[in-house]
Amino acid sequence: MSSRVMRDFDLLLPESIEETIALLARHKDKSAVLAGGTDLLVALKFDYSIDNVISLALVPGLDELDFDPARGLTIGAKVTIADVLRSQDVKDNYPALWQAAQVFATPQLRNTATVLGNILRASPAGDCSAALYATGGSLLLKNAKGCRNIDLDDFWISYGVTARCVDELAISLHVPVPAQGEKSAFRRMTRTTEDLSKINAAVCLQMAGETCHKARVVMGCVGPTLLRLPKVEKMLAGAAVTPELLRDISNVVISEIAPIDDQRSSAEYRNKVAGVLVKRVIEAALNAKENDQ
Amino acid sequence: MKKHAITLTVNGEERDLIVPSNRTLLDALRDDLGYTDTKYGCGTGECGACTILVDGMTTINGCLTLAATMNGKSITTAAGLARNGHLHPVQEAFIENDAIQCGFCTPGMVLKTISLLDENPRPTEAEIRHGLEGNICRCTGYTKIVEAVQDASRRITGSNVSAIGE
Repeated sequence: MSSRVMRDFDLLLPESIEETIALLARHKDKSAVLAGGTDLLVALKFDYSIDNVISLALVPGLDELDFDPARGLTIGAKVTIADVLRSQDVKDNYPALWQAAQVFATPQLRNTATVLGNILRASPAGDCSAALYATGGSLLLKNAKGCRNIDLDDFWISYGVTARCVDELAISLHVPVPAQGEKSAFRRMTRTTEDLSKINAAVCLQMAGETCHKARVVMGCVGPTLLRLPKVEKMLAGAAVTPELLRDISNVVISEIAPIDDQRSSAEYRNKVAGVLVKRVIEAALNAKENDQ
Repeated sequence: MKKHAITLTVNGEERDLIVPSNRTLLDALRDDLGYTDTKYGCGTGECGACTILVDGMTTINGCLTLAATMNGKSITTAAGLARNGHLHPVQEAFIENDAIQCGFCTPGMVLKTISLLDENPRPTEAEIRHGLEGNICRCTGYTKIVEAVQDASRRITGSNVSAIGE
């Protein structure tokens, strides 16, 4: 018998999106949605309890991983990290997301954990979340009253807290078509790959030659949520990306983050390496060859 | 707490059982069905001792899966790998390369290796180490395990044995 036993709950197995939403409307904050379960079941073995677990296992229509050059990328609620990793479209068009998926947890967890689950977990250490925050995207949420789209920029409120209402089901994430000259990358630091990131970073740069027109720069594990670095983004916008600029950016990063000490690293260490990691992730995005991303 | 009637096909054998909502697949396999070759290590999806194959070659952690969500699935554990009294080539490679000490991680390692070689029959050492990141061994230091996987790769690709050994 396992030494870690989950508290009692009722497992509900709806067979359609409508049925799932009806269950959410009935049970509201007395329910949790189970997709991959790699976060939820661990929580249930420790300090979390909930009356109803609503599994998406039998719900059709949430498996879509589709790239359309005119519309962008759609990632359904049941799409796993392994699905993303197998997608040549993701590898070609969204390298930051693909790179985050590549180093995400372990093969077994990648087969089960979902991209949307990573976003909904609202951890500042979420690797795929960091990559997607850099590329930008919007979540489609649905409840009994209807649907709404919410930008990732507005989704994470604080540690573990999102803008999702308790009766809403996350249906899919939409990521826009990559802009002309868009380059992105993801990098992180861990002791071993299996560990959660001690610090991670993702960038999405719109380049024209050597000049960066627009930048989104994201850093994780340095605040209660994933953070964008507005000063760094401003320094990159309209600038030629030179070694001097990268050095200046590296020095500014520390003023935009607020890391803490925890079991994976210290605030002091994170402050020391953050600037270097941002410089490296920008270099990684710029140096990626067309067919080697 | 609700109970759920499910049917699992484990190592080719159909098994009916009734599980409470919070029963993990690992506990159902070990305690309800007797497949104690699947091990309980950390219980949190980190060590890989509970690795099983689902519907072919997909490896998952049994400890982080609710049994009641697996109705109708086909599961392979290490106990289901031998054919006609012969061990699977990956099992033979682990034995002959001394890739086993206490043996606790071995069922998970073997199943993960089978899945890895199915996807990539000739992996590099780096690919092997990346592929086995979800399986922790506290005895061997991994060198002999990597050698066993390389040997298994030669056995499977050399003899046209399919990865599942049929």
